[in-house]
Amino acid sequence: MNPAAEGTTYPAVSFVVEPSRVAAFRSLFGISEGVPPTFVTAAEFAAFPQIVADRHLDLDFSRVVHGSQTYAFRRALHEGEELAVRARIEAIRIRGGNGFVTIAMDLEDADGVIVCTARSQMIERAVGA
Amino acid sequence: MRGRATVSVGQELPELARVVTREDVKAYADVSGDQNPLHQDDAFARSAGFPGVIAHGMFTMGHMAAAIVAWAGEADAVLATSAQFRAPVFIGETIVAGGRVRSIEDRPAIAVLETWVAVERNGRTEWPVKKGEARVRLA
Repeated sequence: MNPAAEGTTYPAVSFVVEPSRVAAFRSLFGISEGVPPTFVTAAEFAAFPQIVADRHLDLDFSRVVHGSQTYAFRRALHEGEELAVRARIEAIRIRGGNGFVTIAMDLEDADGVIVCTARSQMIERAVGA
Repeated sequence: MRGRATVSVGQELPELARVVTREDVKAYADVSGDQNPLHQDDAFARSAGFPGVIAHGMFTMGHMAAAIVAWAGEADAVLATSAQFRAPVFIGETIVAGGRVRSIEDRPAIAVLETWVAVERNGRTEWPVKKGEARVRLA
């Protein structure tokens, strides 16, 4: 991973909160109504491909484990709405051969309001670790 | 939504337990979009140093969120949730989500929770999620 990629921002990716997908997610976790907070992970995965493909960042996804995750909401997601997912590389630290990257994503609604900010800390394990 | 009058500092959330099956993990991969082979392919998982496939950290956090939503009364009341992933979860294990009220804010009324997910393994308690937090709006 390249520490100089800290601060990189990526073009917005569209994500629709598909009611059938939300229903499948609710059913898996035994939640009866609404959009479960961690459904946001589906939006994050819509924006991940451009991060994985970023050669300047050079993140080896095959060596990545998930360190921590945070979601902060201005409001819950609405079923059926379309959101713009804007990803950025918020921080990169290299320690002991392991790389620690914080990826932040803002989910913006049709009015330009950020309804949720997701932060994932990923750990790229040292080669051979 | 849960009423402010029913909440006190130190109050515990009801524990929520589930057995993690291979079918659950596959269903999670499909609904989330996270098709990392670490969660589906035993040979790949062994090459990464695990005895077999492990559940997604976000599957475990999703279960923790289910315990928070059940306590909150509705998904929309959850204003924030976070998790630190400390231990893998293997197929067939029982994960137990829990939490307690750390503090209460007024105007607007919000419960600040500490939350976790535990698993018993070889006679010890391991922590797939430690230092989880959540903020829940109260009525």
